Amino acid sequence: MIDKFFNPGSVAIIGASDKPGKVGKVILENFLKKFNGKIYPVNPNYDVIMGLKCYKSVSELPEAPDLAVIVIPAPGVPSVLEELGAKGTRAVVIISGGFRETNTPQGEMLEEKVKEIAGKYGIRIIGPNCIGIFDNWSGVDTFFLPDEKMKRPPKGHVGFISQSGAFASAIIDWMAYNNIGVSRAVSYGNKVDVDDVDLLRFFTEDDKTKIVLMYMEGLKTSRGKEFIKAARELVKVKPVVIYKAGKTSRGSMAAASHTAALAGDYSLYRSAIKQAGLIEAESFDEIMDIAKVFLTQPLMNGNRVYVVTDAGGVGVMLTDALTTQGFEMPRTPPDLKEELRSILPAHCIVENPIDLTGDTDDERYMKVLEKILPRNDVDAVVVVALPQVPGIRGLLADYLIESKNKYGKPIIAVAIGGEEAKKISLKLESGGIPVFESPERAAKALKALYTYSMIKKRCD
Amino acid sequence: MTPREIIENALNEGRTKLLEHEAFQVIKYYGINSPDVVVVRNGEEAKSLADKIGYPVALKIVSPDISHKSDVGGVKLNLKSPEEVGRAVDEMLKTVRSKAPYARLVGVLMYRMAPQGLEVIIGGVRDGIFGPVVMFGLGGIFVEVLKDVSFRVSPIRMEDALEMIREIKSYKILEGYRGQPPVNKEAIAEMIVKTSKLLEENPEIESIDLNPVMAYPDSAMAVDARIILKKL
Repeated sequence: MIDKFFNPGSVAIIGASDKPGKVGKVILENFLKKFNGKIYPVNPNYDVIMGLKCYKSVSELPEAPDLAVIVIPAPGVPSVLEELGAKGTRAVVIISGGFRETNTPQGEMLEEKVKEIAGKYGIRIIGPNCIGIFDNWSGVDTFFLPDEKMKRPPKGHVGFISQSGAFASAIIDWMAYNNIGVSRAVSYGNKVDVDDVDLLRFFTEDDKTKIVLMYMEGLKTSRGKEFIKAARELVKVKPVVIYKAGKTSRGSMAAASHTAALAGDYSLYRSAIKQAGLIEAESFDEIMDIAKVFLTQPLMNGNRVYVVTDAGGVGVMLTDALTTQGFEMPRTPPDLKEELRSILPAHCIVENPIDLTGDTDDERYMKVLEKILPRNDVDAVVVVALPQVPGIRGLLADYLIESKNKYGKPIIAVAIGGEEAKKISLKLESGGIPVFESPERAAKALKALYTYSMIKKRCD
Repeated sequence: MTPREIIENALNEGRTKLLEHEAFQVIKYYGINSPDVVVVRNGEEAKSLADKIGYPVALKIVSPDISHKSDVGGVKLNLKSPEEVGRAVDEMLKTVRSKAPYARLVGVLMYRMAPQGLEVIIGGVRDGIFGPVVMFGLGGIFVEVLKDVSFRVSPIRMEDALEMIREIKSYKILEGYRGQPPVNKEAIAEMIVKTSKLLEENPEIESIDLNPVMAYPDSAMAVDARIILKKL
């Protein structure tokens, strides 16, 4: 179990410092700001540090800290780990670099030592060579990027697992900027111990996390099956969006057979991702788009999508994009046609995509959506509201936000344009209606929602 | 002989590639539909068994030292009578001995040629991260040039196998085109599942290629099997 990493009662920071620019300073400040448990700075050069008593060594500590964060140079790490083990600490984040990633005999030797000592005492380790944990609920924050450089997002429900520290901090920064709430983020660096599999299991149990985003370069040897198993358990309860980096095939595999030659690294990962029921994102934009939809929308019952637009062209583009993603765009059934005819001017088009044309106003949209949203043969609605149309004033946004909760089916919007489009987007997004700047991105994000809806159905 | 015995025996002899008849024995043990094969030592023996095998008969030289059989005259196809079969075997042994004088010859593999079906490929390989994985694709240019294949990690259930089949870009060809009847997807899927099981249960098997597998409207048959071992 790796709970202690996220909910420790006490933490020791080995290598704490008050020198500007030092990693040990940023981490200590992080804990001082948000962590409610006991904080023990450890550094032989200080008696007091930022108003806290500083300890000369781990053995001097008054208790075994639940969690230790190590930020001293690599050669000193094994002896500190030994002391922590003897003391009774069982969760350690090693921030320090200088291990296997250096490709030097010295670095490899140090990493082996770390493994050996951890094995001896049963210590769980995150790292080395990582930025560790950012936990918005407990205040554990070893991300050594100061606030002014990397904004912290609000408390929320997105969990994040990343092999890359830089990617993790960039995405956290992005989420803060977009006001998306994060529960916990973990970046595990060299992963001598805690890896994707452990974290997937942790997030399965974690009630603060409602969606998990993953950035993965590769798994450890022989961990593939466990990964699929853990992921399958997790997707039963929440969606996981994964971005697999490093898509070029490994050229080093001896091609003893046809199959081996074709079994490029990425094809296997792609199959495993599919088998595990994870949603694969193919770009950074997609990760964000998909996250936005999962955080705000209910699941889909089927794949029938209706489009309501004030721009014929964008309606056609959406039809292409949605059909390409495998959605069905049903022809408007006769009874619905008749209803729409009776409320719409003769020049509007009642075929799906339903085109309200450029002289529409908010009310026309609302009347039409009122007919479509309650129907059992409609699984999702995409609303195109080009704000350049004079009659669009903002009532529509309120109506959409209200309807989403009322009808329990996904409603997403496409708004293309400048200042006005931005305004509408902000209003809609703050009310939980994701807005996309392009039909293709909207269709892809909705596809992810549909894929997960079907996975969930299979599990239930 | 059980797969275990066949594998151990090969490894004891220092061979990492199973001989054809051994590979066929292993896949048969797992219920993978394949032709009945016999290994004969000479023309006389072949002649007496030909009727039992059924026509047309195919012959392949069996030797741990020969990888390109046709280059040394080690393949003969479409033989239609006991006499023809007997003569062909004697001829083959003679030709191969002169072209590859130092090769150890186990005998000649003899089996009934399968009727032409749609050629597909099922392959399996043991991956360092995922363990046994199985591949599916259509034969010929689809795999060689277009790399149009799908993979799954073992254990593979029937539904995974069917999904694999539907996943390839050339799937429509399996559904029948130009008046061809559709082939039996369940039969192929079963073969994928059995291949997965075979890899799971025999850790010494490094890779397996069933190529081609003939797919028919009512069944599927592995016409050739290559099994590569690795010392554990």
